[in-house]
Amino acid sequence: MTLQLSKISHEMEALGIALEHETSRLEQALPDAQEALRRIGLVADLESRIQRAIGLHWAGAIPLHEPVSDTIDIPPHPSRANIIATDGSQIYPDRHGVALYYLINIGSILFPHGISQPPTCNSQPQVFFETSDLYDGTNTVGSTTIDTRRSIAEVGELARLAAEVVDTAPTLALIDNGLILYGEPHSRNQHEHDAAVIDYLERLDYLQSSGAALAGIIDRPRSNQVLSLVHLSCLCPDEITSESLHYLDKFERISDAMLFSNLAPGERSALFMNASSENLHKYQPRGHKMCFFYVNAGQPGWTSLLRVEIPVWVAQDVDKLQLVHAGVLEQCRATGGFPYVLMRAHELAVVSTYERRQVDNMVAQTMIKRGLSPMVSRKAQGKLWVSHVKNRW
Amino acid sequence: MTETSPSIPIGRLLRSSTSGFTFGCSVPEPEVPLFGSFVKAPAQHNQSEVIGLVYNIVIEDDPFVRQLIATPDLQEAYIQDQRQNRKVPIEVSVLAVGYMNARGLFHELPPQPPLTLDHIHQCTAKEITNFTERFGYLQLVLNASDVPIDELLASALHQAASVRQVEDRRYYLIQAGKALARHLSNELPRLEALLTRAQVTT
Repeated sequence: MTLQLSKISHEMEALGIALEHETSRLEQALPDAQEALRRIGLVADLESRIQRAIGLHWAGAIPLHEPVSDTIDIPPHPSRANIIATDGSQIYPDRHGVALYYLINIGSILFPHGISQPPTCNSQPQVFFETSDLYDGTNTVGSTTIDTRRSIAEVGELARLAAEVVDTAPTLALIDNGLILYGEPHSRNQHEHDAAVIDYLERLDYLQSSGAALAGIIDRPRSNQVLSLVHLSCLCPDEITSESLHYLDKFERISDAMLFSNLAPGERSALFMNASSENLHKYQPRGHKMCFFYVNAGQPGWTSLLRVEIPVWVAQDVDKLQLVHAGVLEQCRATGGFPYVLMRAHELAVVSTYERRQVDNMVAQTMIKRGLSPMVSRKAQGKLWVSHVKNRW
Repeated sequence: MTETSPSIPIGRLLRSSTSGFTFGCSVPEPEVPLFGSFVKAPAQHNQSEVIGLVYNIVIEDDPFVRQLIATPDLQEAYIQDQRQNRKVPIEVSVLAVGYMNARGLFHELPPQPPLTLDHIHQCTAKEITNFTERFGYLQLVLNASDVPIDELLASALHQAASVRQVEDRRYYLIQAGKALARHLSNELPRLEALLTRAQVTT
């Protein structure tokens, strides 16, 4: 073991003290934030404030048709439903490996709620090795690009599964993440990202046309978009500037999850719309404006706050919205706070270190068959050597 | 290789030694594997088959399953998913009690153990009948360590009797009881308890 833990023990003490102070500060500020949320309905010019803030690149939460401080109790779950989920895993390109390639593996599960049948599970890997796959311009594709391609594949597989089963029962499609694809900020390849978003939106079209409901689940959400709305409502109209919107003053570092920590188990918050520029300019024009709510997926005695992102065509359809609310909670009941099908989809997708080595071996073998010499870099070889040292004195 | 009927594989070998082996399987069927049942595994590049008795069946748990246990009114689909789709292995331990090859049946430890991932099969009724015709395998069970010996003997004798014609079963069990009496002549209380368990009356 090279990490000498004794050398950081005093920093652990300081870390604990810092956490204690921050928690205390947040706990003191939280009641004010929750009170401000309750009073938002009294802010007469909220709509105009929001429009003005959007003009200043504000990316907070826009209330939809429900009063922002409302809490909505769990609706009944249909006796029969299809719950489907996908998740992806990947092997990123490794320039020190035997060859340049990457792999995306999509795990999927179709869970037949209400009948005594085992779920249908699948795992579908795909290897990408063509020049057009590996390079954008002269650069090797980065992890963000591959993550985006993985997200597109996840939604594509969800849409395919939904179309297959939606006639048999109300169908809920779940994904383990938000529903908006964010590219790398200030990327030189913005056009690549835009093309990926168009591809993604086409798959959302397909999913929407199937009639299934869609939701993206974010566990332990760190977003503060509703807090930004609360902050906006507290500003005097002439104080609304880019800078004042950027800093949340006494609400700094409070998250939406903390704001809604008083939701009872099963309750959800009101619906909001994501005011990010990406959503307003790319998703909304195509009919996929992204909305969200928070839900307490815990049980009496403990809170498990999830952020649930849904397209507007789910938010505006009462049956679909109720299926999302009830379906997510029913799935969380078995696991203590996160949908069962997403846990299983992850299990079906994940590529272990051992499996990655096996793929590398397959690549090396096929290279040898073609008379090529598979070699890892000296740096990679060195890492392999030292990783086999069991004990170091 | 000995000629046997092509029974359905019930698992694949995880680890082995000359004295026994452990195989893994997914969901157990109602009839296989059972405690005390006769199973076989290929060895020596299919030149022989090791015969063994199942003496322990362990169903591994994992944190995911532990979480589900606490859920009231668990939907059947969760249970079916865990049992049929998830690769949570059931480990089955087997005591080697002999082997068979082209030359015949032997009640002694096999020359080589089976290899990892080899298919494990249930022995057919004919194979059990032939293998248990003589009682040498009882000695290997009696000499085993870390095995519930008496319960295993009782189950194995029951199975050996049940694959025979009804009119032959009582005679077979009496002969088995006599063989056991020779091995356990110095342990009469144990012999009596074992014979009672095996419902062998002389």
